[in-house]
Amino acid sequence: MRGWVPAGLRTGVRTTRYPDAEETAPGVSPGLPRGGRAADGAGGALADRCPTGAIVTEDHGIAVDYRRCVHCFRCARGVPAPPDWQPGYEWAASVRGDAAQPLGPAFARSLRILVVDAGDCGACLREVKQLSGPYYNMHRLGFFVTPTPRSADILVVVGPVTAHMRSPLVQAYEAMPAPKRVVAVGACALSGGVFGPSFASAGGVAGVIPVDVMVPGNPPPPLAILHGLLVVTGRRPSAALRSPAAAPPPAPRAEGAP
Amino acid sequence: MVCAVSEQDGLRDLGAACRERWPQRVHAAYEAARRTWRLECRADALVDLASWLVAERGVSFAGLVVEEAPAEWVLRYLFYGDRDTGWVEIVARCRKPARAMPSISARVHAADWHEREAEDLFGLVFEGHPRLGDFVLHNDVWPEDVGVMRADYDPAVRRPRPEPDPAWQPVRLVEAPGAFWMPVGPIYSGVTESALFLLETVGEDVIRAFPRLFYKYRGIEKIAERRSVDQVLLLAERCAATSAFAHSLAFCQAVEAIAGVEVPARARALRIVLAELERLRHHVGAIEEICESTALAVAASQASILEEDLLRLSGSLTGHRYLFGLNVPGGLTHDLAQGAVRAAADGAAAVVPALRRLREMLGVSSSFVDRLEGIGTISRADALAHGLVGPVARASGVRRDLRVAQPYSGYESLDVLVPAEEDGDGYARLRVLFAEAEESARILAQQAAALPAGPVRAPAFPVAAGAALGWAEAPRGAAFHWVRIGADGLVARYRLVTPSFTNWHGFHLAAENFAFQDFPIILASFGLSAGEGDR
Amino acid sequence: MLPQALLVAFFLACAAGMVLAAVLPDRRAPAAIAWVGAAAAAAALASGGGVLATGHVVQARLWSLAPAGTLVLALDRFSAVFVVVTACVYLAVSLFSAGYLPRYLGHYSLRSFGIAYHALFASVVLVLMAADALSFLLAWEAMAVLSYLLVNYEHEREETVHAGYLMLAMGEAGTLAAALAFLLLAVPAGGLAFASMRGAAAGLGAGARWAVFLLSFFGFGVKAGLVPTSTWLPRAHPAAPGNVSALLSGVILNLGMYGIMRVNLDLLPVASVGPGILALIVGTLSALVGILYATTQTDTKTMLAHSSIENMGIVAAALGAGLVFAASGRPVLAGIADVVALYHLGNHALYKALLFLGAGSVDLAAGERDMDRLGGLIRRMPWTALWFLVGSLSIAAMPPTNGFASEWLLLQTLLRSVELSAVSIRIVFALCGAALALTAALAVTCFVRAFAMSFLGIPRSSASRQATEVPRSMTAAMGLLAAGCLAAGVAATGIIPVLDGAVAPLVHARAAGALVPPFFAPGAGGLPPAFVAEFRDLGAEVGKGIVPGPGLVVLHRGGARNPVVFAMSTAYTLAMLLLLLGAAAGAVAIATRARAVTRRRCWDGGLPRLLPAMTYTATGFSNPVRVIFGAVFHPSAPEDTVEVVAGHFRTAVRRSRPEVHVVDRAVFDPATRAAWRVARALAGMHHGRINAYAAYVLATLLAFLVAGRLL
Repeated sequence: MRGWVPAGLRTGVRTTRYPDAEETAPGVSPGLPRGGRAADGAGGALADRCPTGAIVTEDHGIAVDYRRCVHCFRCARGVPAPPDWQPGYEWAASVRGDAAQPLGPAFARSLRILVVDAGDCGACLREVKQLSGPYYNMHRLGFFVTPTPRSADILVVVGPVTAHMRSPLVQAYEAMPAPKRVVAVGACALSGGVFGPSFASAGGVAGVIPVDVMVPGNPPPPLAILHGLLVVTGRRPSAALRSPAAAPPPAPRAEGAP
Repeated sequence: MVCAVSEQDGLRDLGAACRERWPQRVHAAYEAARRTWRLECRADALVDLASWLVAERGVSFAGLVVEEAPAEWVLRYLFYGDRDTGWVEIVARCRKPARAMPSISARVHAADWHEREAEDLFGLVFEGHPRLGDFVLHNDVWPEDVGVMRADYDPAVRRPRPEPDPAWQPVRLVEAPGAFWMPVGPIYSGVTESALFLLETVGEDVIRAFPRLFYKYRGIEKIAERRSVDQVLLLAERCAATSAFAHSLAFCQAVEAIAGVEVPARARALRIVLAELERLRHHVGAIEEICESTALAVAASQASILEEDLLRLSGSLTGHRYLFGLNVPGGLTHDLAQGAVRAAADGAAAVVPALRRLREMLGVSSSFVDRLEGIGTISRADALAHGLVGPVARASGVRRDLRVAQPYSGYESLDVLVPAEEDGDGYARLRVLFAEAEESARILAQQAAALPAGPVRAPAFPVAAGAALGWAEAPRGAAFHWVRIGADGLVARYRLVTPSFTNWHGFHLAAENFAFQDFPIILASFGLSAGEGDR
Repeated sequence: MLPQALLVAFFLACAAGMVLAAVLPDRRAPAAIAWVGAAAAAAALASGGGVLATGHVVQARLWSLAPAGTLVLALDRFSAVFVVVTACVYLAVSLFSAGYLPRYLGHYSLRSFGIAYHALFASVVLVLMAADALSFLLAWEAMAVLSYLLVNYEHEREETVHAGYLMLAMGEAGTLAAALAFLLLAVPAGGLAFASMRGAAAGLGAGARWAVFLLSFFGFGVKAGLVPTSTWLPRAHPAAPGNVSALLSGVILNLGMYGIMRVNLDLLPVASVGPGILALIVGTLSALVGILYATTQTDTKTMLAHSSIENMGIVAAALGAGLVFAASGRPVLAGIADVVALYHLGNHALYKALLFLGAGSVDLAAGERDMDRLGGLIRRMPWTALWFLVGSLSIAAMPPTNGFASEWLLLQTLLRSVELSAVSIRIVFALCGAALALTAALAVTCFVRAFAMSFLGIPRSSASRQATEVPRSMTAAMGLLAAGCLAAGVAATGIIPVLDGAVAPLVHARAAGALVPPFFAPGAGGLPPAFVAEFRDLGAEVGKGIVPGPGLVVLHRGGARNPVVFAMSTAYTLAMLLLLLGAAAGAVAIATRARAVTRRRCWDGGLPRLLPAMTYTATGFSNPVRVIFGAVFHPSAPEDTVEVVAGHFRTAVRRSRPEVHVVDRAVFDPATRAAWRVARALAGMHHGRINAYAAYVLATLLAFLVAGRLL
């Protein structure tokens, strides 16, 4: 092993400090459009440009359904009034609401993940793969990938669930012992993405097996997927899957400030 | 009508030769704008003509496009040659209701999977093909003769699907006492694409491996029909996101060829920069996969760091880590600032010394090299016969690269060094990946330093009707997108031939008589994508 | 008196059996065979047990044939051991036949089976009782012919006919050699009675002794199944009906060992270590070759046949060790080794008969013997599976079964060779001990494969999917033998003194004191007091009233200053096992009592269905053994015929890998080729010229005249 050990030591620590601190390096996330006010007509134009119907007009503005956003940037480039762009990566949303049960303290620091590829284009899978790499290193948070559903706690699904992968996905879900959670990653897994429901794919995971957390993006960057894993274990709060048109309430002013 | 074939063209006498050999059965016409010979061929001369072209005229099979017209089936066999040669397109027709064509796969073996796919999706019968059925549409999920690509099949209707047929039996290839299958997949290992591999063995060493793909078949070609060019561009990008830029480039070039639009110089140069950036990042990712398959974790981590560096570089340069949303017919969607491009080139150049160090250290790690040397060997003859492309073919001595053979988007003025090895084993494929990654970084730097000024997008043009072929050298090999736009401006037929589809065809050559524990290494050294092949 | 009466009852029962078989209609024959066979076996068991217990030798003088002497029968303790073993096996096989034989109704005549069956039993006991060479050989020939008739029962199948003929031919060659050995012994004795041979054998010269040993060892070795003359075994066993295979392994092979032991332990006093070393080496080679081929066979009965070769090799090795110890002046060690040989022989008879009866049951229920086509039978045939499991555990030498007791004793006995002085002998013992340990490990592999591939997993053919449990008589017979295996293991401390009683007159020393010393009596013979105190402190006295005999089997080496004691107790092991398993089962039951249990199908990666062809086959399981020991198997390079259609489409790959047995390669094929060469050379004489023939006659005449003149 000559050379490898010094090379590794020379490389140093590259791991992100998320979730303890925000990751600010450029290029870690493509960002998402934000819903908000829009001039009359401009909102309709934006909604027309969106190929998947993620942007809809809603009382004097546009709302964005993140489940459908495929990062085509049609709304951001070549338009006179692009929507606000939201940087960041904490996009995962828990969709079970009150019915969601936390996984329990036994799973706080040690979880096994089974990753099932139900027909994705390859980008979501590679982003999931990066989580095991030195930059994101999900092992330090207690997440590990396992090849068998028998020892898995979380099922991560990418892809729109093609007709051929429907039965294997269901078998994998049923082979996991309780308690188990499902995380759907990527626009294809949430809504079918650019493919949508068709003769060859189910248009998302939700109709095939029950989903607990959805991570939007096409593909969601590794930090967003990591956020999704933290949400499903209750270690981070859930985000919203929809950005409404109403402006957020103004920040409360401190007492006595001008 | 023969018109204006260039003097240097190696196929300039093709028309005359065809008339001489198959009088009355083959009609040749030359289209100078696309440098394409179009040979209208009768069914009885098809096999001879195709095999003559490949064996004696030195062209390679690119793909088979099947179109359904109201009264007939039109089959286009596409061939391409070297730099001095253009394209050849054989057009064969079959009047309905007949559905049979002679199979050329026995002589032009590269057409094997194209014919099987056409049979499975269209219901055409290729006479003489020894292995039809259960290809794209798995016969435990779909009923017989469903014909999803036929005009009368509505892609939006979701048919009720029965439970998979429990009586399904895979094809048995090995007859030996005590032979059995070791099934790997469709869900296997850690983070892998879904595919099924049936390894036939009598104990320790595997005699044959039979891949069953198309678990990720999304029906892109069918979904694309009757959608706008803009929407199909999205499909082209997302058929295989790790080569998104190359595929969208090929698609855009097809649409630009139909419309006859010239792309500005700056757009062409930027397209080269981005395509090489994608190739560099993909190859680093493939190297990481190979290191991980041999369980050399430190090397895999080092390569993973470089890949994430390049992903972040792509993200900060273009806004998306996988270069989505950049290509558009006519050029690019938005310009990139000179400073950003230079920073990206510097970043890519910084990766090269790290790659070189990695390659040196891997070369002296005998435990690593031993697991790759002599594994999954493909001979040059086999690679040629099966029509393999990309780094896999180059490792076996088939020095074929579309950037040199049929240059596009400004590559004609560049001197692209195409590496090749002779051994054809896993280690040779790894060496080719390293050499190509370095070459990509060099081209990137060279282009970034000399970007011409000007617009990055041709002025808006009407969507014309017509059909054309667009091609690009994707990181895994040659990609061909054949597009027909109808009079209504919507895409009428979209044929997508990806390098993974071509190379999966030859995977079984590398998977013969090996030890079971070498299987992940053979898979990783091929570096193919199931999603790209399944489409 | 009583044993004698029981013997007479036994012979009467056999005669009754033969008569009933001839008289009754076929459909009543299986029940008749079962009842009468069981009765005869019970009588033989009782009489043999009586002789063992009392030591009273049953003698009978039969007719006098003038030139050859008187035919004498004598049942001494040594023969009684074999009689008891034979009777146990016959009892179980007779019960088994009640359910097994009806499959032959209408195809073959059960009359002839019944007659041959009972006659064989009688002839076997006569062989064991023979006290002079003539009666021995007469009974031996009868036994050989009758066993041939039984093996050849399904005579319409060609491979059965070949196998039976090979068995008969090789058996007769072996009998010839054995007869020559007896004649050589008879020369100085002046008569054919064993008693006179015993006395006069001391006067034989070294060359004659070697000749007697070699002739008897290899002659009887044919019947015992020792390499290189065991070629008939793997063919005869699968050819014979299921119950006859059990008889072959459980009874007939023992007769071969009986012959070797009778001549070399009893009649011929041991003079040099040479014969012992040769027996040890041949035994070890047999064991190794036998288990290697057993591990790679997929036919259940062929595999068990090769395993019989292995076990007979172990017995021969123990016998050889005994001869070496006796020649080196260590009679107690010789006694121990001979006790081990007899113990292993008896154990092998029990568990091999059990395994063969299991294989016969599977054959009857599923119609398949090929392990590559069995599977999942544990659900359909639970009792057969359970008894087969007990037999597999026994043959794999797992405590607390009898196989473990005899294997452990054998290896420990071989270790005692360090007390010998000659270095070369110690080296041979070390190498053979290592090889026998290897065979023990391979035996575990072999029978894990046999049990798992036949009974576990999913059925690989429609026949095994439709198998049903066999009739109660068959499972009861197997259960009887399984109980016998366990009992013979747990009661090791009770059996060893009995065997020692049989062996003591032959080696003139008592081994029981060294093996199972009376712990609970004062002055426990020869053991260091510290060890005895420790043993008592462990609470061993608790079991004193429960377990049979003193409780521990012990091998004590070294003196008072350097005591080394190897000890094992199968009885205590059984008790501990039951306790631990029970406790574990109880703990699991309590821990999982509140959990909901969901049952799902086996995870197979998401396939539509897991086919039987996707599970390991028996051939695949043993492939590593075939690869590692490639020098023995010497398979030719695999011939892959690739069927290619239209240039590049490979439609089928056919792989064949012809193999030739190592003994055939090394011994028989060269011998056959040499014999052919000689025959072809001699065939040159058959040219048809009358003149030359006349010259031959003249030359022969001249040669006789010259020879007569000289002598």
